[in-house]
Amino acid sequence: MNPILSRKLPLIGVALIALGLPLVVRSATYLHIVILLYLYAYLTMSWNLVGGFAGVLPLGHSAFLGIGAYTSTVLSLQYGVSPWMGMLVGALLASVVGVIIGLPTFKMRGAYFALATIAFAEGMRVMVENIDSLGPFRLNGPRGLQIPPLKTGLVHFMFAEKEPYYYIILILLAGVLTLTWAISRSKLGYYLMAGGEEPEAAQSLGVNVARAKLMAMAISSFLTAFAGTFWAQFTLYIHPKSVMSLDISFEIAFIALIGGRGSIAGPILGALLLRPVSDFSRIYFGSTLPGLHLIIYGVVLIVVMIYQPRGLQEPLTRIYQRAMNRLFGSREAAA
Amino acid sequence: MKILELNRIRKHFGGIKAVEDFSLSVEEGGIVGLIGPNGAGKSTLFNCVAGVYPPTGGEILFRGEGIHGKKPWDLCDKGLARTFQIVKPFASKTVLYNVMVGAFATTDRRSEAEKRAQEVLGRLNMESLADVRAGNLTIADRKRLEIARALATRPKLLLLDEVMAGLRPTEVDEMVAIIKGLREGGMTIFVIEHIMRAIMALSDRIAVLHFGVKIAEGTPQEVARDERVIKAYLGDDYVAA
Repeated sequence: MNPILSRKLPLIGVALIALGLPLVVRSATYLHIVILLYLYAYLTMSWNLVGGFAGVLPLGHSAFLGIGAYTSTVLSLQYGVSPWMGMLVGALLASVVGVIIGLPTFKMRGAYFALATIAFAEGMRVMVENIDSLGPFRLNGPRGLQIPPLKTGLVHFMFAEKEPYYYIILILLAGVLTLTWAISRSKLGYYLMAGGEEPEAAQSLGVNVARAKLMAMAISSFLTAFAGTFWAQFTLYIHPKSVMSLDISFEIAFIALIGGRGSIAGPILGALLLRPVSDFSRIYFGSTLPGLHLIIYGVVLIVVMIYQPRGLQEPLTRIYQRAMNRLFGSREAAA
Repeated sequence: MKILELNRIRKHFGGIKAVEDFSLSVEEGGIVGLIGPNGAGKSTLFNCVAGVYPPTGGEILFRGEGIHGKKPWDLCDKGLARTFQIVKPFASKTVLYNVMVGAFATTDRRSEAEKRAQEVLGRLNMESLADVRAGNLTIADRKRLEIARALATRPKLLLLDEVMAGLRPTEVDEMVAIIKGLREGGMTIFVIEHIMRAIMALSDRIAVLHFGVKIAEGTPQEVARDERVIKAYLGDDYVAA
């Protein structure tokens, strides 16, 4: 068999498993867990464009999730706009907000940037929690918004079963994976990496570091808002704690750091490892030890940072490459 | 034609006068050297030219155009590239990746950037290092990488900040050969260097900076005979000898 093709076999296998999973997993609970896993993988990939490639640590992406969720929900509840359309509007809005946050904060270094993004996201959550309406838009404060499940179907982005949601988030995930791959190979990707690693050197090589970061921020917040709309349509009930809580921002950062920031496989590996921990700790310890998963994350993070500071993707990629070489001969021989 | 003109450049940091009334011009196609004892203000002057910070006073003309307050990335677009005294490789990336970042300054296409980066690596005899992680390079190769990255931006003027510091004598010779090769290719070079042997061999003209003030300028032979230069480097006692 063609050796280059056979190297792609594992990837094709993974894709087939992902496509066929709902046929095997009939339990709604487990499918729900997998959907959340994909959702977090998607969120982390979106975050990774800024937090990974651009080398800064934003900890306020829950704000963009919230903007996405609230925009599409308000538009559909009050004006009957299709959630698909609302998803796009929310994403554009999040993008603009992302750039506005980025303009002053990207000049800050390290922890200061992280703190500024936390402050912004928390500020937004507190604001939404304390107002019933923003101009003509009803937000309902801490009570949140309920989406009545009146009409189901693809047009309404609402389904009685879990399977359609599964495929929608799978498509979103595949999309963000492809986009990340493309960006990592493009001028923007090179500029982000360069600016993140050695800003002064990058600037002298013609890289407008601030502009590259803003671009990444715009794309990242745009994509994150998509997940907000998905979340709203999936749970049919949003409130500030559920879509704008800092826990979400932290969980995204945990997944990225443990899986491997700035890599393509990292966010997915991180989500595969951590999401089940989160869900099962909630199922078994939800009443006695809520938030246990964040403690476990913390411990895992410390261990990973000590032994694999570049995240789990690095040793796993190495093992994968070695296995491929063993099975199909080395890449050089194949080429 | 003058590619770079510095007219009475001053740079003050608070009360410290790092550079005072420095004037110099660099002719196209030549190599001009800037020497001076430690702390003389050489790198400060370079940073003013490269747009890291604007000079406190004076005028910088690059190809006849004032570049006061222009940012480093704008200057790079105009054809001015530099290396750093303390090398700043993108350590986690390969040598090729590093050079491609520079090549992207003049093209948006990845394939084109890769081709140009390979060309530059070939010119500096670094092809075999293309896939090595920059963080694993020796100091000599890191210095060469600095030059390779800067060259990949296709500059008209190259500012080299102590690219030979810390190299072994054989490596210095290699570097001198590389820089001479660049000049033969038509590049204009403005170079700061501590290693006298190298700068004497390379430069058409040399300016000497001492406590922020230019104390001499001329051909390498003129500068080497200059009393003030000898005094600055060796102290008063050696002038008579």
